[in-house]
Amino acid sequence: MIAVTNVVKTYGSTTVLNRASFAIAEAQLTTILGPSGCGKSTMLRCLNRLERFQEGTITLAGIEVPGTAHAPLSAADERELVRQVRARVGIVFQNFNLFPHLTALGNAMEAPMTVKKMTRTKAEAIARHYLERVGLSGKEALYPAQLSGGQQQRVAIARALAMEPDVVLFDEPTSALDPKLVREVGTLLRSLDDLRKTLVVVSHDMDFARAISDQVIYFEGGRAVESGTAGEIFGNPQQPETRAFMACFQGRS
Amino acid sequence: MTTRTILRALLAAAAVALLADQAAAQTALARVRTAGQLRIGTDATYPPFASAQGGDFSGFDIDLGRAIARELGVTPVFVNASFDGIFPALQNGSFDVVLSAVTITAERRAVLLFSDPYIDAGQLLAVRKDRQDIRGPADLSGARVGVQINTTAQFDLEKRAGVAVAKYNTIDLALLDLENGRIDAVVSDAPVLRYMTTLSFKGLKTVGDQFTDEKLGIVLARDSDDLRRAVNAALWRLQDSGAYARVYRQWFGETPAATAGPAADAGGTRLFDPALVSRTWRFLVRGVWMTAVLAALGLVLGLPIGLALALARVQPSRLFSIPAGIYVEVVRGTPLLVQILFIYFVLPAFGVNLPAFTSGAIALTLNSAAYLAEIFRAGIESIETGQMEAARSLGMTYAQAMRRVILPQTFRRVLPPLTNEGIALLKDSSLVSVIGLTELARTGQELASRYAAPLTIWPVVALLYLLLTFPLTRVAQELERRWRPVARG
Repeated sequence: MIAVTNVVKTYGSTTVLNRASFAIAEAQLTTILGPSGCGKSTMLRCLNRLERFQEGTITLAGIEVPGTAHAPLSAADERELVRQVRARVGIVFQNFNLFPHLTALGNAMEAPMTVKKMTRTKAEAIARHYLERVGLSGKEALYPAQLSGGQQQRVAIARALAMEPDVVLFDEPTSALDPKLVREVGTLLRSLDDLRKTLVVVSHDMDFARAISDQVIYFEGGRAVESGTAGEIFGNPQQPETRAFMACFQGRS
Repeated sequence: MTTRTILRALLAAAAVALLADQAAAQTALARVRTAGQLRIGTDATYPPFASAQGGDFSGFDIDLGRAIARELGVTPVFVNASFDGIFPALQNGSFDVVLSAVTITAERRAVLLFSDPYIDAGQLLAVRKDRQDIRGPADLSGARVGVQINTTAQFDLEKRAGVAVAKYNTIDLALLDLENGRIDAVVSDAPVLRYMTTLSFKGLKTVGDQFTDEKLGIVLARDSDDLRRAVNAALWRLQDSGAYARVYRQWFGETPAATAGPAADAGGTRLFDPALVSRTWRFLVRGVWMTAVLAALGLVLGLPIGLALALARVQPSRLFSIPAGIYVEVVRGTPLLVQILFIYFVLPAFGVNLPAFTSGAIALTLNSAAYLAEIFRAGIESIETGQMEAARSLGMTYAQAMRRVILPQTFRRVLPPLTNEGIALLKDSSLVSVIGLTELARTGQELASRYAAPLTIWPVVALLYLLLTFPLTRVAQELERRWRPVARG
């Protein structure tokens, strides 16, 4: 579904992504795991073109996203590429970025109406459907400020799903929540299995990654160090970096 | 910097274009005959020469102007203008002549045309009745002396050593300050001082005789030589027929006509006079209306322009952001007064000749647009970047995200500074009086001088400004209340 090949991204003299390569399978829940500052969030943002990168290629649901160094795109081509990518890829931000002036329902209806030019009735039906899927029936008329952190995250998920993307990205979904809500998020993400979306989660939380992931990619130093099933990565890590991270983690708990 | 200095600089820039323009124009007399009207500019805060109450003018200059127009076979149209800006307005064609107790001086002669003198008027001194040590101009050394700005009294005093000159917009303000004891004397045209001290400022007296020999003339623009000859001929005929003498007796005779009659009954200037308020009420309401319309236009037209400028400044293309930035800098960096003067007095040199109301409304609009642009820009930039990212990540274009996500939040946030700007605009609109628009502040000026009752008129004017700002504040409060659920977001 997603193939990342030798992606390089630098800010001035700082290299954030350093020839990152990995593949993500369709309709799986994949976690990109790694320590803070390893470039995993930047990687995620590259996947829906919130960030550009200089070298390498990302192929995503059949769309090829080239590095800017090789094939600089015209403004019109870039706009078209962005449009295509974002039609297929949704994102749930770390701090949700809900629209505070709209209700939960309004948040989920806005993009289908403005982007897909859906009628209000149709957009509302879809928005209500996904709000129900994430367990927010009865909260549709509330504004973000009237919702708890966990509920806000659910609105953000419903808002992304309402655009019916193939891929949904989650940036550190557990970091803004208190520990008791972390398990709930995991359950919620797994409850979406029947939608057959490709879910990509960025996290530094090993417990969470182990509990929810089909596939785990260990990320460090701007590249994917190791990739495998959750069982492989946690049970039998091959690379020294991965082992060190696990050891540090096990020592802590 | 006085208005005069500003205007001189602005006009110098426009002089060349003006001359070229004039060559092509119709002669002044032909213009007056074609229009069937003689437009007479006057600063109607100067009884007994000219005073006004709404559109109703009276005074010696007014009656003389009517008689001259009758002689020319046309209708007189009086245009009220601040003395400060009256000559530039004459030159840009806002009126055909100025009849406003103007002394003929060499400096003015250098740039304007004068009719033959129509009355002799020297300068005279006024002091408080209890003051004995000032008996003539020789006693003024070390004294603080009030004058109306830009008058021959000012020019005369500035040549005398040791005299501190205090300049006032209208003569009644100078007299009031004298009565209050803040200055030692006032110098002005003899007929005006005699009139004012007899009828209104009863705590003051004139001292000695007039100490300059001045002649007042009707002023015309430089290209109006044929009109000048016609006006002179009219003046001679009025002298011969005795019509001039009748008008003179009416205003300067033993019993001067009581334009300011009501003030005379009111028994001086010390008291608040409710009866005067009820008599002048409809003029004040007209002033309120003019102020409200100007401010409303400035705000309503300024809002979309300001928003467009703000959007141009925050979007990434320099093609739009740089010009918008320059506009905002230039407009915010220059005084509104200069902008008003520029649009009204300088643009005509480039073929854009706008009426006073349009000029005032445009100046207020363009000025408020610059301030509103900065309010909107600050508002837009205060919205977290995550909002734009979230909207874009859902597939919205920049424009869609701006319209549907960023701006709705911006409007809620900028409501308080917008209200501020609206109130500021309401009060700043008083500056358009310099181009002769009789809004609330100018109405106050006129009424205060006509009735010599600043202590009655100005508190009422202040109260009316307060009443004008009140609805604006209420609308803002109502909007804030309605949007409260999301303000917490």
